[in-house]
Amino acid sequence: MKFDQSQLKKIGIAAVVLVALLYGYFAFLLDPLEQGERNASSGIASIGPQISDANTQIAATAELEKKAPDATNFLTNLKNTIPDGEPIAWFPPKMAAFFKSRGIEKCTTRLVSETADVMPGFRKFVWSVDVPKVEYVPLGTAISTLENDEPLLNIISLSLDATREDAQYQHAVLVLSTLVKS
Amino acid sequence: MPLHVNLYHEIEQQEIARQRDPLRLGMLAVLIIAIGFAVNYFIVLERAHIVGIHYADAQTAWSAIEPKAKAAKTRQDQLNTAIQASDAVMKAIDSRFDWAPILQEILKTTPRSVQLTHVSADVPEDEKAITSSITICGISGAVEPRKQAESVRTELDARLASRFEHVSSVFKELEDSDQFVLLDGRRLATATFTIEYQIQLRDPIAAATPPPRRARKESAE
Repeated sequence: MKFDQSQLKKIGIAAVVLVALLYGYFAFLLDPLEQGERNASSGIASIGPQISDANTQIAATAELEKKAPDATNFLTNLKNTIPDGEPIAWFPPKMAAFFKSRGIEKCTTRLVSETADVMPGFRKFVWSVDVPKVEYVPLGTAISTLENDEPLLNIISLSLDATREDAQYQHAVLVLSTLVKS
Repeated sequence: MPLHVNLYHEIEQQEIARQRDPLRLGMLAVLIIAIGFAVNYFIVLERAHIVGIHYADAQTAWSAIEPKAKAAKTRQDQLNTAIQASDAVMKAIDSRFDWAPILQEILKTTPRSVQLTHVSADVPEDEKAITSSITICGISGAVEPRKQAESVRTELDARLASRFEHVSSVFKELEDSDQFVLLDGRRLATATFTIEYQIQLRDPIAAATPPPRRARKESAE
C-alpha cells in the first residue's frame, strides 16, 4: 500500500495528535492523580504507626495510672506527716517533746547542715541532738521508737559517754538526718 | 451477457477512499486509545479517591488522638517521676541503719563487772560506703581483767556477726590499771580497754543494691 502526499500528511497529523494525547494524558491527568494517590498512601503509611504508637501510649499510661496510686500513696502519706514551715522551727521542739515523753527531760537539738536532697521534692537537714543525762536503757528504747516511728529520720552517728558525776547516766549525742518537704 | 455499467463507481471509490482515509483511521485509533485512557483514568481516579478518603480518615483519627497521646505522655512522665521518687524514698528508708538492735547487743554483752565509759558509732551517709565502725571503751574488773575484756570483745563480735555478714574487731587499747574495784565484796583488778568493731553493711561488689530489710519494732529493752 502506497500513500500519497496527502495521506502521508494526514498520517503525520494523526501521529502528532496521538503523541499530544499521550503526553497530555500522562502529564496532566494520570501523573498528578497517581502522585496524589502515592502521597496519600505514604501519608497513611506514616500515620498508621503513629496512631498505633499513640494508642499504645494511652494504654500504657492508663495501666500506669491504675498501678501508680499503690506506689505513690506511700510517698504522699509520708509527705503529709511532715509539718509545714521551716524545720528549724518545728524539729527541735518535736525532738524535745519526743524525749520528754520517754522520760528524758533535757535535750538540745541544733541544726548542723542543710542540703538539697537527691530525691526530688525533699531537702535534707542534719541535726545534732544532745542529751546530757540519760540512762542507757531508756535511751535505747527511745532510739528504737524514733527509728520505727520516723521513717524519714536516719541516725548517722551516736556517741555515749559515762557522766563523771553519776556512772549510771550517759551523755548522749546523736547526729541524725531528716528529709523535709522542699 | 448484458453490459453492466456502474455509474456510481466514482462515488463508491470516493466512499472507499474515505473509509480508508489514514487520517480517519488514525483518528479512530486515537479515539479508541482515548476511550481506553479515559476508562483507566476513572479507575485510577476512583482508587485515588478511596485512598484519599482513607488518608483523610487517618488524619482525622490522628488529629483526634494526638492531643490525647501527648497528654498521656506528659502524665506518664509525671507518674514515673512520682514512682521513682517514692521508690527512692522507700529505698532510703529500707537502707537505714538501725541502732537500737546494736545498743541492745551491747547491753546484753556487757556483764556487771564491766563498765562502759564510751560508746560511739557511725554509719557513713554515702550509699557506696560499705562499712560502719563502732568503738567501745570501758573498764573491766575481774581476777583477770584482760580476759574479761577479751570475753566482752568476742561475745559482742559473735552477736554482731549473727546480724551482719562480716564483722571484725580489734583492741585499740588494753591496759592494766593500778586501780581496784569492789564488786560483791571482792576486790578486783581492773583494765581499761578500747575495742573497735568494723561491720560490713553491704556487699562491696553490689554496694548499689539495698541490704535486706531487717525486722522492725525491735527495742533495746
